[in-house]
Amino acid sequence: MSHTPLKAVLAVVCAFAVGGACATEMVVVVNPKNPATRMFSEQAAQFFLGKSSLFTPVEHTDGPLRNEFYQKVLNKDAAQVKAVWSKLVFTGKATAPKEYGSSAEVKKAVAADPAAIGYIEKAAVDDTVKVILTVQ
Amino acid sequence: MERYKRTAVALSIAAGFAGGAQAQEGGPQVSISGFGTVAMTATDTSDAEFARPNQQSGVGTTPRTGPDSNFGIQSTFKFTDSVSATVQGLVRKNASDYFGAELPWAFLKVKANEDVSFRVGRTGMPVYMISDFRNVGYANTMIRPPAEVYRQVNGGSLDGGDLTYQHTFGESTLTAQFGLGTAHNKLVNGARIEFSRATALHVLWENGPLTLRFGRADATFSMKDNPAVDGLLASLVKAGFAQAARDYSITDVKGSFTSVGAIYDPGNFIVQGEYAVRRTGTRVVMDTSSWYAMFGYRYGKFTPYYYHGNIKQDNARTYAGVPAVGPLKPLAAALDFLGKAGIQSANALGLRWDFASSAALKVQVDRISPKDGAGAFVNAKPTFTGPATVYAVGVDFVF
Repeated sequence: MSHTPLKAVLAVVCAFAVGGACATEMVVVVNPKNPATRMFSEQAAQFFLGKSSLFTPVEHTDGPLRNEFYQKVLNKDAAQVKAVWSKLVFTGKATAPKEYGSSAEVKKAVAADPAAIGYIEKAAVDDTVKVILTVQ
Repeated sequence: MERYKRTAVALSIAAGFAGGAQAQEGGPQVSISGFGTVAMTATDTSDAEFARPNQQSGVGTTPRTGPDSNFGIQSTFKFTDSVSATVQGLVRKNASDYFGAELPWAFLKVKANEDVSFRVGRTGMPVYMISDFRNVGYANTMIRPPAEVYRQVNGGSLDGGDLTYQHTFGESTLTAQFGLGTAHNKLVNGARIEFSRATALHVLWENGPLTLRFGRADATFSMKDNPAVDGLLASLVKAGFAQAARDYSITDVKGSFTSVGAIYDPGNFIVQGEYAVRRTGTRVVMDTSSWYAMFGYRYGKFTPYYYHGNIKQDNARTYAGVPAVGPLKPLAAALDFLGKAGIQSANALGLRWDFASSAALKVQVDRISPKDGAGAFVNAKPTFTGPATVYAVGVDFVF
């Protein structure tokens, strides 16, 4: 808990940073029961853009971590991702991913669902989830 | 009042259902979502009205909300990981002169395995590349579906079932959807069009920024409650023009619609285009080909875009089967009139501004040039030949 204030400061700095100037170390994680061991970011992007339903994406609420993930892994901004999901939701093809407010909550959701895939700050990783991609 | 009541009832179907289900402990997981567009549209002419396909009246120089506004609400009930139900209600101006409610989606979906799913009930008929989400303004760059291509087949709800195969090959995803069923659509003059047997194949190949699409729809259709055409056909038979009556038949006609499309969306710009061909066995529904291309460039939250669309008629616009002489003149004129498709080309400039996280403002100006008639404009004065400019501003939202 001691580093929470630092994280908060970093988050604020990141919120105003342009592009990748301020990068949180971020990893893509799955449930330990998931047989996958590693993944390219293009593959991970397919789940978060609803192009594959093999794994269930777990999302963050709006914030710097999510924007960074969108930019680096999905190569899109928040409005574009929203438009992509609108196409899927309003054609009954998929339901939008559940959103959680912190890496701890995303980690908990991934640990609870063998099919889940999520992304969290690297500092939040523990043995309840398995890292399959480090976001560069 | 009746119409408003109907609207309210239809809209509450989705929401009301959901409320009941949520109250149940351990019942299905329910999600409710909605979309809509609030828009004002106007033109620079009072000699004709601009309307979307299958709208009875449109707009002239006085701005109106009718052509481009709509509202939809959807509930999805997830019973298990593989079984779900979806209901969508939609309010818009279609066929009649007021905002009316429709039920475009109501289906049960069963996921058989990772790749295959079935749907039974009422689903969208994927005639076009963006058929399924053409009413969701937020999901599209432009303010409205490209009219030149999207007016060729109206309606689009299939009562029946479909099978979808979706598989990921490395970084590519293939989606193939095949649907079979019946469909019926109201037309503007009180008539109906009934598809007694319709099939629709929709194949998508996606790789990163690139989407390629092929579509083919076939149907046997009949036009019902169309006294004008029925009367004309009876006159033809009476006057001994049996072949003409067959050429203009509106009963059990075969038709097909073949289309290809592509989207390239690497991030900072977007290119989208479609080419589509309609073929039918009746001169009342003309053979046409159409295409459009759109280019948009993203400057952060602003996406200016340019659009060009064109539709042409492939069969003869005049009919030689009944000579335009003496007392036959009116009959021949009526047949010529009935056999002419509204053809036109259009150029449009627009701007999409993603000003909030779930809302976008759009401004679009279309310059539409009808050819040999009034094109897709409705209630046109006989002297109207265009071109005309259409202005629209709207806010799309999702929730």
